[in-house]
Amino acid sequence: MKSLYKILFVILLSSSIQVNLFAQDEVSPERKQAIDSLALEKVKDLGKYISIIGNKDTEFSEANRVIERALELFADGSQMGVSSLSRPDVKYYGVREYFERLMALNYDRVTIQWFNIQYISDLERQPDGKYVGVITIYQRFQGESDDGLKYMDTTKKDITIYVERKETQIGGRIIGFWDVLLGDIRVTETTT
Amino acid sequence: MNKYQIKNLKNMSFQHTRTKSFLNVSNFLLMALIVMVSLAGVGCKSQKKLAKEKEKQEAEAKAARIEKVKQELNALLDDNNSMSLSEKERALQRIKDMNLDDVEVKALIRQVENKLADERAALEKENDRVSADSPDAKIQRLGNYFNAVANASSTSAANNSIQEALSLFTSPDALVLIIISKSGSTKDYDRPTTIQKYLNYLKDQRKNINAIDNVVFDTNGKIKELELIKK
Repeated sequence: MKSLYKILFVILLSSSIQVNLFAQDEVSPERKQAIDSLALEKVKDLGKYISIIGNKDTEFSEANRVIERALELFADGSQMGVSSLSRPDVKYYGVREYFERLMALNYDRVTIQWFNIQYISDLERQPDGKYVGVITIYQRFQGESDDGLKYMDTTKKDITIYVERKETQIGGRIIGFWDVLLGDIRVTETTT
Repeated sequence: MNKYQIKNLKNMSFQHTRTKSFLNVSNFLLMALIVMVSLAGVGCKSQKKLAKEKEKQEAEAKAARIEKVKQELNALLDDNNSMSLSEKERALQRIKDMNLDDVEVKALIRQVENKLADERAALEKENDRVSADSPDAKIQRLGNYFNAVANASSTSAANNSIQEALSLFTSPDALVLIIISKSGSTKDYDRPTTIQKYLNYLKDQRKNINAIDNVVFDTNGKIKELELIKK
């Protein structure tokens, strides 16, 4: 009889812990909205970084510093799709290589603008606790050379977003935060 | 002597009598006038004397007042005067309101004015220094730096503001936490960053979207931790 009580106690205890854990994982709509906004902001930040890196007026040291900052936005191993109106296929580069190639583009003036940035797939909680969503952007690229050569296109790109609840220890205390990481950026459409 | 001559003689005698009594009255009036004028002269003389006396007293009182004012002004010039600056300024104003027409007093007033102006300037400078060192002043300066960096006209201008802002911190690696949502005691943060990275973020993104929520200072008055919140 005693052992039966013990078993019942353990079952009750474990179920109560599970309820607590579940409650901790629950995110209120207000908090979820804040996380959505945070991820959207990170994508906008990337657009600005790409514009700075591509801009020929940006000093080399500044461009390199910005590349490092832009890389911090990405999950390891993420790739960036690059398309051109002159070829049908899309090439994929690791993000570092992409930024370095962008910085070295053979134009005298480069303008890159991102617009219509929005979710096409809301952040959804996965079984592993991470949130995954997709944000789409439109990129307007314009490259000009002094000899009159000019190239421009508009590319629609889908960016996979990962959001994960993490903890870090700073100065002896634990700080919980939402880590937003960008995954692969896939080209879905290229037009003039 | 006929009747007519007698009558004339009588008339003449009567007229003589009338003239005589008239002269008597005139003499009396003249005498009275002389007496009155004499008396008035005596009165005037004593009035003048009184006025002179009063004038003398006033001059003495004025001299005493001037002497007292000089002492007060010299006391205001004394470096060991224990009065507060405001008390000194009020005392000087009271003396100036007397409008004393004395060269020495006027010269002393000018000296005191200069001295108090110097003291006021020094006090204000000290107040500015103290208030500039206060936590509130530092927080305000930091907010101004954030705006300056985000709205800088050039990269070098932004970098200058970044360097100035960094002087408020214990180190460029001072912790910066950004609250993305707050509900009661529950705070959701963005990934922790450092002040140097955050300032560069403002420079690159050219937007200042976070407000200062909390600042932690070390014992030297430097910022060691900063908490920002989405505006």
